Amino acid sequence: MPHPPPGTYDAIVIGGGHNGLVTAAYLARAGKKVLVLEKRPRVGGAAVTEEIFPGFKFTMFSYVVSLLRPEIIRDLDLPRHGLHVLPLESTVTPMENGDYLAAWGDHDETRRELCRHSPRDAEAYDEYGRLMHHMAHAVRPILGMVPPDPTSFDPRDLLALLRLGKHFRGLGAERLHALVKLMTMSSADFLDEWFETDVLKATKSASGIIGTFLGPRSPGTAYVLLHHYMGELDGVFRAWGFAKGGTGAVSEAIASAARGFGAEIRCDAPVARVLVKGGRATGVALENGDEFSAKVVVSGLDPRRTFLQLLEERELPADFVSDIKRFKFRGSSGKVNVALDALPSFTCMPGVGRQHRGAFSISPSLEYVERAYDDAKYGEFSRRPYMDIVFPSMIDPGMAPPGKHVMSVFVQYAPYNLNGGWNDTKREAFGDAVINTIESFAPGLKSHILHRQVLTPADIERITGLTEGNIFQGELALHQLFFMRPAAGWAKFRTPVRAYYQCGAGTHPGGGIMGASGRLAALAILGDGA
Amino acid sequence: MSLRQTPFHPRTAALSEGQAWRRWAGYVVASSYELSHDREYHAIRSAAALFDVSPLYKYMITGPHAARLLDRVVTRDVGKAKVGQVLYTPWCDSEGKQIDDGTISVLAEQTYRMTAADPSLRWLHLNAAGLDVTIEEVSERTAALSLQGPNARAILQVAAQRDLAGLRYFHLTDAKIRGIPVTISRTGYTGDLGYEVWVDAAQALPLWDALIETGTPYGLTPAGMLALDVARIEAGLLLIEVDYFSSRHALIEAQKSSPFELGLGWTVALGKESFNGKPALVVEQQRGPAWQFTGLAVDWESLERLYADVGLPPRLPTQAWRTSVPVYSGGKQVGYATSGGWSPLLKQYIALAHLEGTFGTPGTPVEMEITVEHRRKRAAARVSKLPFFNPDRKRA
Amino acid sequence: MRLPPAVRWDAIVIGADVNGLVAAHYLARAGRRVLVVDGWEKADTRPDVGWVPPQIVRELGLGGLKIEHPDPWIAAPLEGGGRLELWRDVAKSAESIRRVSPGDAAKWPEFCARMRRLAGVLEALYVRPAPDVETREIGELLRMAGLGLHVRRLGKQTVIDLLRILPMSIAELLDDWFENDTLKGVLGAAGVWHLRQGPRAGGTAFNFLHHHVGSPAGVFRPPRSTLAAALAAMPGVEVRRGTEPAVVAVGGRATGVRIGGDEFSAAVVVSSANPQQTFEPLKAQLDAEFVRAVGNIKMRACVVRGSSGGNGSRAPLCVAPSLDYLERAYDDAKYGRPSAQPYVEAVGGGTELHVQYAATVDAGLAARVATALGVSTDQVTLEAPNGHLYHGELTLDQILFMRPVPGWSRYRTPIEALYLCGPGTHPGGGIAGAAGRNAARVILKET
Repeated sequence: MPHPPPGTYDAIVIGGGHNGLVTAAYLARAGKKVLVLEKRPRVGGAAVTEEIFPGFKFTMFSYVVSLLRPEIIRDLDLPRHGLHVLPLESTVTPMENGDYLAAWGDHDETRRELCRHSPRDAEAYDEYGRLMHHMAHAVRPILGMVPPDPTSFDPRDLLALLRLGKHFRGLGAERLHALVKLMTMSSADFLDEWFETDVLKATKSASGIIGTFLGPRSPGTAYVLLHHYMGELDGVFRAWGFAKGGTGAVSEAIASAARGFGAEIRCDAPVARVLVKGGRATGVALENGDEFSAKVVVSGLDPRRTFLQLLEERELPADFVSDIKRFKFRGSSGKVNVALDALPSFTCMPGVGRQHRGAFSISPSLEYVERAYDDAKYGEFSRRPYMDIVFPSMIDPGMAPPGKHVMSVFVQYAPYNLNGGWNDTKREAFGDAVINTIESFAPGLKSHILHRQVLTPADIERITGLTEGNIFQGELALHQLFFMRPAAGWAKFRTPVRAYYQCGAGTHPGGGIMGASGRLAALAILGDGA
Repeated sequence: MSLRQTPFHPRTAALSEGQAWRRWAGYVVASSYELSHDREYHAIRSAAALFDVSPLYKYMITGPHAARLLDRVVTRDVGKAKVGQVLYTPWCDSEGKQIDDGTISVLAEQTYRMTAADPSLRWLHLNAAGLDVTIEEVSERTAALSLQGPNARAILQVAAQRDLAGLRYFHLTDAKIRGIPVTISRTGYTGDLGYEVWVDAAQALPLWDALIETGTPYGLTPAGMLALDVARIEAGLLLIEVDYFSSRHALIEAQKSSPFELGLGWTVALGKESFNGKPALVVEQQRGPAWQFTGLAVDWESLERLYADVGLPPRLPTQAWRTSVPVYSGGKQVGYATSGGWSPLLKQYIALAHLEGTFGTPGTPVEMEITVEHRRKRAAARVSKLPFFNPDRKRA
Repeated sequence: MRLPPAVRWDAIVIGADVNGLVAAHYLARAGRRVLVVDGWEKADTRPDVGWVPPQIVRELGLGGLKIEHPDPWIAAPLEGGGRLELWRDVAKSAESIRRVSPGDAAKWPEFCARMRRLAGVLEALYVRPAPDVETREIGELLRMAGLGLHVRRLGKQTVIDLLRILPMSIAELLDDWFENDTLKGVLGAAGVWHLRQGPRAGGTAFNFLHHHVGSPAGVFRPPRSTLAAALAAMPGVEVRRGTEPAVVAVGGRATGVRIGGDEFSAAVVVSSANPQQTFEPLKAQLDAEFVRAVGNIKMRACVVRGSSGGNGSRAPLCVAPSLDYLERAYDDAKYGRPSAQPYVEAVGGGTELHVQYAATVDAGLAARVATALGVSTDQVTLEAPNGHLYHGELTLDQILFMRPVPGWSRYRTPIEALYLCGPGTHPGGGIAGAAGRNAARVILKET
């Protein structure tokens, strides 16, 4: 293969988010000359850790890890580059009557806790867990495969479809039916078939609505339940973890691996557009006018930016453009990061203890979560939102000065399209709703707050570039998944523009700090003989 | 403490010399009280041993359709059992694969107590659809002790001030021990003369004290799970999660077993009108099971020779093992042993094994894998009928 | 007429509804002696809603069957006054829509064509038992492959539409195409018929297409017919009304039906009744997981029927001014309350009302319905729902091979000689007689 002229790269990756970095690392590992262009001062995108308040490190947007593909960790030797994931053992859900529901690391303990609420649910929980384990096992191969095109007559696609069909039939009747239910039902309905304890259903449903613009009673949320069950940590399914140093450390580790293979990463380098000649990508131009050429250009940005911002519409087929325009984002999540001088004590479990080493889920009942969704449906942020709270400093003391703490609060719902739009006043009102709600479960919290940072979907979009602040680069709805992601016929990481590829979470298999899209895209590029 | 303590814990904790505990169904129980389990084991076969078996899951099934529910769930014919009888039975899923095994005590008309190794409340409820029956979990309310060994009857007769010679094998009776109401069933997990004593949890400690006081002159020894394990292997009794996996926990078909494959064909009442798994079991019985659950007796000479080859005397596993060990015939693997160890009583290295097809016929010569000084070897063994140990006193 | 109980019937059909009667007549035509029993003393004279597959008309000799085609097929009040009327003629509807949104009018013809193609795929699926995805039978596999090929030949767009639209919400589908709220409300309403979901819920686009089945392009309400009445009048089967029947089964095999104190014996029992009702007396003979699955069938009653006085509209009147209106009506139902502002549709000048969402007739409901229709409260009569009309909501997890319970979608049941044939089976409610025909053909093949 002839060397490219000096100044020409084999591949330019637009966006230093974790998927872009993974793509860069794999390409560099294969000997390609790779350049990553990131608009912000640091890489990571929505997986960044920043010292927003002196001495306190906020894992600003994303905050937990479990879905990071084991093959990526192995291939890129990430532990050697600083990746260290610490287990998040428990989840405590405070209830409105002062009681709580806890899920601990030990199976016997959790069983005993559930028995307290319902002996039958305690037994059903085991059955349910086993079923989800089987389902995750059944669905896992799909995470690592390139979606076949169901509309094509290409024998490779037909063969892939046939193999897929065979895989599903091989599951056996019981699991196939469970899979259909998981893909089509609402998490509330799905869980209603198993459990009677409302707070248990609420907490589990909450994981089904994360990153979606749906409520626990909306069909299609049971599927996302499974998505979050497919995590792996040291071979154990489902356990969540916290990366030492926050998710920013994950991005830094991948970036370090990429640099180790020879990739070049430039920050403060926002790309304005992709250069196209004769239907083929030839390079990129930065906002300041600088141009770089490359044989292949890869975008790690979401589909709307990848196609409608970085390219001229005339470069793309009309029906593709309308498909992309129709691809739904509808960010619904917010984040509140807080610096504390002491940990809050929750009424349901007073004092400071091991519960602070896990997560607190503010999801006391199905109705609570559903009402939070109702607010968003009609364009308001939830007055009493669903929240997933962790204290990173309890797991990784380096995140805050000794004796002090950081609190990371993931919030839903905060609709991107807020009635009247987001502004500073609305942001503060949203932050107040979050803090007041937590305060109602943990009186005294406010007195310990040293600093708070509130991030609305508008902020998420402004800072990271994620369209409409959707954390998955596009909703994980059934009709936007697999061979439909981001558009029918274009789910294989290629685009209608030759030598232009897509590698972000807007492609299969979607978001969640998996890195899977990044890797599959790199393999596609290498396979195409770039 | 995250694990629960049985009602006897204040007594058993005081006896633990080496803090050797293990978990059982969310409780802590003693692996052994003394620093080694040897004496505890020998007590089972020479005098009497006392085990805390409270962690068993227990359910009271009462009402007009109680027998119907049980007959639906388990393989044995409960309807035919009389008051005062105890049945040992497995139960299966709709494909005839075993879920669990336990006992059903017929306490009175329309009144049954069922024990299980795994939680079964939900399963019982699901099967009770359309039936007039009450299911109550009494696991925590009911404590249980197991008194096993040649002196067991003598001890209990003194404790209960009653002649128990008439209490037949796998039957029960009500009694009072120092005024404490108990149920005494002639059941156990050692394959020996033995009884289990069932009591209200509130009276657990007085009962323990009474038995210890009465029994000590007869050599009654509190014993833990390590000792019990050796005895149960001698008795050829299988253990869930060790010798077989509940079909509920199986990830693949191969992990499931039917009662026929576990040597429990005698518990399957195919004459019953219907019960969970019957159609599949009928077919299997006609076809013959694919596996057989049998004993293995390792040949001493072969074992000795393997160790002598490296200049060592044989290492005898006095603590029973629970791992899976391949079994060969003619160079091909034909099965696997799941429990095994040295029987001090029989002076034999014995194991419980699953063998394919006709390899399970008693007398068949096979080879069992043994690791000698980091190297995998095969010791000659012979397929044995179960149980290994079956004293007359067990049923007398 | 008192029938001698000692007679053994070839088949007893429970339910003199459209599916029960269709099944009965198909069996009778094949020479079986059929008795139809129904708990209701009087037949329901209301028209049957839904497509009547032409096969049924042909095969049962129902040439004279009356099928209603109102034109316009819907009228919806507009905010500023007046009504939006939609016609059987696509161009005429486009004209009507142009007055409220020229953009929507321009898209109307293509929308109608695309939806019609998809409904056609469903029609092909509905006149045969649900595809058996677990089968090893070559014939069935070939049939499924054939269907796949047939769909592919309809064009790439149709395949994409199918994969994309079936799981979508009707709100998202309509928002993609149209801007006018009233138009979207009228169409969106069909997406939530008999579902306790709002238009933003996934699966409502499928439900919308389901109710488009049997109608020409551009008509998004199912036809009405007098199928049940026509069949009841046809000779060939005995019909007995008045006492609630119950299936009798011994040792896992159906032996007949009990009516009051009498037991009628039959070689085959076919039930068009709600599956939960059918299996209730048989629980003790059924596998625990099956009983659980039947108990889990979602059939949350949410539609109240009734009648009102004339509302001055010849065309069926739809009160669903926007998708948000429907969504808010659903929100109430979510929390167990009847809708403060229900979706109301009045057909036949008010002789038939469809009110959603309400599970019971509470004190103020009639007044709220009257307000919606613009009539006085005393003109509105409502009847409490008797369970779910479709015997199971048409959610994506309760259709095809999952209906009525996963693995039992071909009308057989775990009880030998007991079959199901009602709307609780494939293809579901709102398709007049299709389930009955499918079931009868399966029965004739197997017995």
